Amino acid sequence: MADNHLSTFTKGIVKENPVLRLVLGTCPTLAVTTAAFNGVGMGVAATLVLLGSNVVISLLRKVIPDKVRIPAFITIIAAFVTIIQMLVKAFAPAIDKSLGIFLPLIVVNCIILARAEMFASKNSVLPSILDALGMGVGFTAALTLMGMIRELIGTGCVFGLPITAGAIEPMLIFILPPGGFFVFGILVVLSNKIAVKMGKKPVKSLGCGNCQGCKGCDAEGYPAGEETAPATSESKSGATGVNITTNQEVAAAEGELFPNDKAITEIAAPEGDAVVKAQAKEAVDTATELKKGEVSDDK
Amino acid sequence: MTSNIITIVLAGILTENMVLAKFLGICPFLGVSKKSNTAVSMGIAVTLVMLMATAVTYPIQVYILDPFGVGYLQTIVFILIIAALVQLVEIVLKRYIPPIYRALGIYLPLITTNCAVLGITMLNFTNARITNYVEALFNALGAGLGFLLAIVIFAGVRSRLEKSDIPESLKGLPITLISAGIVSLSFLGFAGIVG
Amino acid sequence: MSKVKTILITTLALTLICVFFTAALAVTNEITAEKIAEVQKEAEMQAMTRVLPADNYVVGTVQVADADYYAAMDANGTVLGHIFTTSANGYGGEVKVMTGIAPDGKIIAIEVIDAADETPGLGQNATKKTFWEQFKGKSGQLSVVKSGVGENDIQALTGATITSNAVKDAVNKALTAHKLIKGEAENNG
Repeated sequence: MADNHLSTFTKGIVKENPVLRLVLGTCPTLAVTTAAFNGVGMGVAATLVLLGSNVVISLLRKVIPDKVRIPAFITIIAAFVTIIQMLVKAFAPAIDKSLGIFLPLIVVNCIILARAEMFASKNSVLPSILDALGMGVGFTAALTLMGMIRELIGTGCVFGLPITAGAIEPMLIFILPPGGFFVFGILVVLSNKIAVKMGKKPVKSLGCGNCQGCKGCDAEGYPAGEETAPATSESKSGATGVNITTNQEVAAAEGELFPNDKAITEIAAPEGDAVVKAQAKEAVDTATELKKGEVSDDK
Repeated sequence: MTSNIITIVLAGILTENMVLAKFLGICPFLGVSKKSNTAVSMGIAVTLVMLMATAVTYPIQVYILDPFGVGYLQTIVFILIIAALVQLVEIVLKRYIPPIYRALGIYLPLITTNCAVLGITMLNFTNARITNYVEALFNALGAGLGFLLAIVIFAGVRSRLEKSDIPESLKGLPITLISAGIVSLSFLGFAGIVG
Repeated sequence: MSKVKTILITTLALTLICVFFTAALAVTNEITAEKIAEVQKEAEMQAMTRVLPADNYVVGTVQVADADYYAAMDANGTVLGHIFTTSANGYGGEVKVMTGIAPDGKIIAIEVIDAADETPGLGQNATKKTFWEQFKGKSGQLSVVKSGVGENDIQALTGATITSNAVKDAVNKALTAHKLIKGEAENNG
């Protein structure tokens, strides 16, 4: 049982890292990681919201009627987001300033709703707390890492402390929007490489499509996935008989995006015309260069 | 007034592009951009929902939340309004205009948790250019069109990527992200166009 | 019958959740509102002492468009200058500037207090002291140039002409407001 709890906590950090493995919450990941400090701030704020919402939803899981569970979840999450926002404004105004609109936007961060739907609504309080903490730590770690890389290459500093500043001309582009996409792309490549080495499947697509498309976000008319067993050894003791007709974890891991548009991110490579190939090669070359740049800058 | 509105719309489309400059609505941008026809449908659906959400939330903030001193309820009220609105639109379309429902229907539920929609309703109050209801509506229109433009361009880029030879480890999400970075880079070129 | 019951229970549950959490928000707001106001006031005071150190700050009484201002006084009540908080549109949103102006109309110091919506690494460089230094001692109306800085010119930040212009616009608003206050004071005196 203790092992079970431990894995509930640790899975969010590495195995099911919300950013790099489940690919949830891409918007804040890209937007606020212009500096390592912002990554930490965002991570901590989201973790607190996740903790609050997971606990309350887990407590209320038998009370909330199935039909209105998504509006109920959203209300609970929005309430916690607002509470955290007020607390941050009062006690950490610097974080409020640097996160700006992304602080209230935690409410639509896929991670929070996904954990509510996938975990807290099916499990008792203790596992839900551990799940929230694990996911939160994983989210914070990924954001901080990305913030550190972007800040280092983009400004030559990490956490505002000069590292390579003065020695190497900073590549400003890394703290501008394009740099966010580049660094995130390369981090996913690296995490995929590690995953493949460990015998796991690489992430090929977005996870948040699954969350947004989750059955709960609509009433009907959306083709929901089939019900299957949870991907992890989550405790079933809290099962409530609620039919969760989505299967985001499995789908995300298998690289499926929307059930109705399965092939969205599978990239076929049949014979293409030369121009297309050349252009793609350019893109790849740029990516490789970037990667090299990153490696050399890290030294 | 007119010039201000033009500025607002152009800024929304080019310099303050929702996706490429503000990082709002990344999920549908990356997720629904594989084919250009689905990308167009998604873009139109997002634009419509943004317009409607702004049409409803702006007066609610100005005439209900602010006068009663409960501005802090903004997040909770807005997200519930958007969720309800999306449901309503879905039901109405399904019942009365089935062709449009068939074209846009499946995208509507995806929009509820789209941070671009909630984002624009909140940005209406932080953007200093927006001083009244009409300007807020045009702000939503500009942002929606900006999203449409970005997703359509990106769908074009991705259809090219499909046919190309990509290193194994970059296949899928990584190359998608890196191409998005390059598209975003091109939008940086618009910097300074709108004063 | 059972359908009606389900609807009622569902509605009731959702209503109760909404009511409960709205109440929770109201309570949190009660607790934090004062603290938030305090923090903002504190930040403003700190910025004011940096821009124009004085013993006493008195809220300005003359109505000026687009500007809030304080009169900075020493212990004896002598006016050392005025501090204006003005804003102008930058690249991503509003840029807020605090300007301290001496009685002779010369800028004592400025501080960009909010440029959070500007591009990190470009426009946000406007929050650096080196940029503020340029404004010291200037008066009249300022303009931004990319090279060949004249008497009332400000060298634009690299890659951030719009943000530089926004800061300049805000400072110019303060200078205009200062002129207005001066005029008013002389009329009354």
